[in-house]
Amino acid sequence: MVAGQRRLRLYVTMGQRLLRDSLLFQILLHDEVELVGESQTGVDTLNRLQAATPTVLLIEENLQDNDGLTIAENALTVNPSLAILLISDTPVSSGRMAIYLEAGIKAVVSKDQPIQELIKTLFYIRNGQVYVGNWQQEPAPAAMLAYQALSGREREVAKLMASRLPVRDIAGRLGVSCKTVHSYKDRIFVKLGFERLPELILFMQRHQHGAAE
Amino acid sequence: MATSGAAEILLRYDDDQELQHFETLFGNDFTIQAFASDRTALDYLASASKLPAAIILIPKQPDDHLESSLLEHAREQHAGILKILIGDAIALNLLVKLLDDQLIDRCFEKPVNPDVIRSHVLAAALTREDQSPFPDNGQALEGPKPAILIVDDEPTATRYLSRQLEHMQTEFRVLSATSAEEALLTLRDDYGVAVVMTDQRMPGMHGKELLDELRQSHPTIVRILTSAWGEVDVAMDAVNEGRIFRYQKKPWYAGDVLILFRKALAHHRALVAARDSSRSMAGQQFEELRQQRRARLLDQLSEKVDGYTGEPITADFLDALATIRTLPAQPPHLRASRETALEYDLVRDFVGLVCRQLDTLEPGPMPATLNRQAFDQALADAWENPGATSAAQTPLTALCQSLATLLNASGLKRTDLDITQAGAHLNVANASALQIYSHLLAPITRLSRPLLEQQSAVLMLFVSTRLLAGDIDVTGGDQSLRFNLRLPARTD
Repeated sequence: MVAGQRRLRLYVTMGQRLLRDSLLFQILLHDEVELVGESQTGVDTLNRLQAATPTVLLIEENLQDNDGLTIAENALTVNPSLAILLISDTPVSSGRMAIYLEAGIKAVVSKDQPIQELIKTLFYIRNGQVYVGNWQQEPAPAAMLAYQALSGREREVAKLMASRLPVRDIAGRLGVSCKTVHSYKDRIFVKLGFERLPELILFMQRHQHGAAE
Repeated sequence: MATSGAAEILLRYDDDQELQHFETLFGNDFTIQAFASDRTALDYLASASKLPAAIILIPKQPDDHLESSLLEHAREQHAGILKILIGDAIALNLLVKLLDDQLIDRCFEKPVNPDVIRSHVLAAALTREDQSPFPDNGQALEGPKPAILIVDDEPTATRYLSRQLEHMQTEFRVLSATSAEEALLTLRDDYGVAVVMTDQRMPGMHGKELLDELRQSHPTIVRILTSAWGEVDVAMDAVNEGRIFRYQKKPWYAGDVLILFRKALAHHRALVAARDSSRSMAGQQFEELRQQRRARLLDQLSEKVDGYTGEPITADFLDALATIRTLPAQPPHLRASRETALEYDLVRDFVGLVCRQLDTLEPGPMPATLNRQAFDQALADAWENPGATSAAQTPLTALCQSLATLLNASGLKRTDLDITQAGAHLNVANASALQIYSHLLAPITRLSRPLLEQQSAVLMLFVSTRLLAGDIDVTGGDQSLRFNLRLPARTD
């Protein structure tokens, strides 16, 4: 990300621990993100938000105790510079999206969207920008197309990496240097649009009967 | 106005390759109407039944469009259309000039990030309203004389400019700060700041960051970026993200700056007038909606609810809600009430929920058996099984269930209830106020299960207390509620 930008001070409000943990495992891999607080409920969020001084609030629309949007509106009256990302259970209609944006929500991501979309959105809104992704259209199977465009050797490396083989072992198996494997690895990540190994592993295993030949 | 179907872009291009590239990037997202001349584009605009969300200009020579008839027409006639310039290399002078003439709203250099362009256009399409610009009537706003705040870490130039400006006019005060942080402190204490002109390069928070912050925290303060460095990327970010009013190059000439500040003050007055009018309009219009909502709730609930005790419980309940102050009505609340099924669903779902709860309510056991111990036990049961809707509820279990729901929604514990027995009465009150962020008669944008459950719990508090032959006293506050129940009880 651009130098000189503020760190992303994140507050997360999600009812379910499992979901919250899963998201945070991914989000916190990005080193400019700092988790400054988390809550299960809306009331708890409003009680603790001011002391935590987050720059971004990630909040579920459906919370146990209160409506997430009502909580978000209240959070904005306390801190108008807070960038709020709302997580909806299902994709929202354009009418609702308009209402949310007008209410000061910076972005809405639905639980039907991939994690990469959420993280991308998080970074776009960090300085208070509105971000409207391609929320109503089916995302193009970009990674799949990109995978098919990999060279034979790249696919081979991708498969070995997805089986969690260390770089040294991959190099040994293919009879090339570790440096070469690293450069394959970089190319694969760039081409597939991934940043980290878990993304590649998930992609390969999810598609092992299709994409991975 | 929400869009139906894909939003439309009017593309004004010079080069066929640019057109193809643009269509590859955005063909799936938008309907693209492309024109190779201003003339054909203007003809299209004149005949189109639906206006495009954005006009995007991809010229070979951006300088040629300083006098674009298309952009001028859009500025004069269609303030709601977003105007975007995309160029190979944008010169700072060009950007400054286009901004001065209000010909463009956003500006990008190639290669563009399609996500960002798409987001700008979609956001414009979604939130577009008939932005009839508020004419500035030249009237000074009430309150103290407006102030212009100049933020620069180099105080000599600021001091010199301030002195000059103060000699030249009496319309505004000139304040200064030597850092963004100091500027924020000044803004906290001085409510009269109408315009902020900030340098970009300062130790600590940069000018652009300050402007980002102000755009959100003080949307009616007019933002101007100033710099001696001529960094076009900073200027572009400030336009696209900070939505600056103007970019003022250094060195400053007092005469030019005075003209700029006068324009900025006029713009500020227009922004304030637009905000005030939208607020008061939203307030008035919501008042009507509130009355209609109240009437429909009363109409559909009183027979069923009041039938239990013969008392006007529904009206009492709605009157109690009306005393709870929530956030004021804003345009999105009105939009939700008018453009979605919110009003209908609210009444239908609430009435449905209340009816289901009342149907499981059985009168008895007799209130005479109530004592402190029985109450504590019932409350403990309700607390253990939140939201349990057993087949049959007594007034006491219904009361405790409601208390549990309300305490939970406010993040309170059972021990936050004040329960005292005084003679033949059990008094139940909340020591800490309940948090009621929204209620049935408040402006809302969305119907949610917690809202409905919380509200029906308040109503059931009224119903069950009356069934237990008790009295209920409710006081609303700022997003809060206090209650006092007085129940007849047996003394041991």
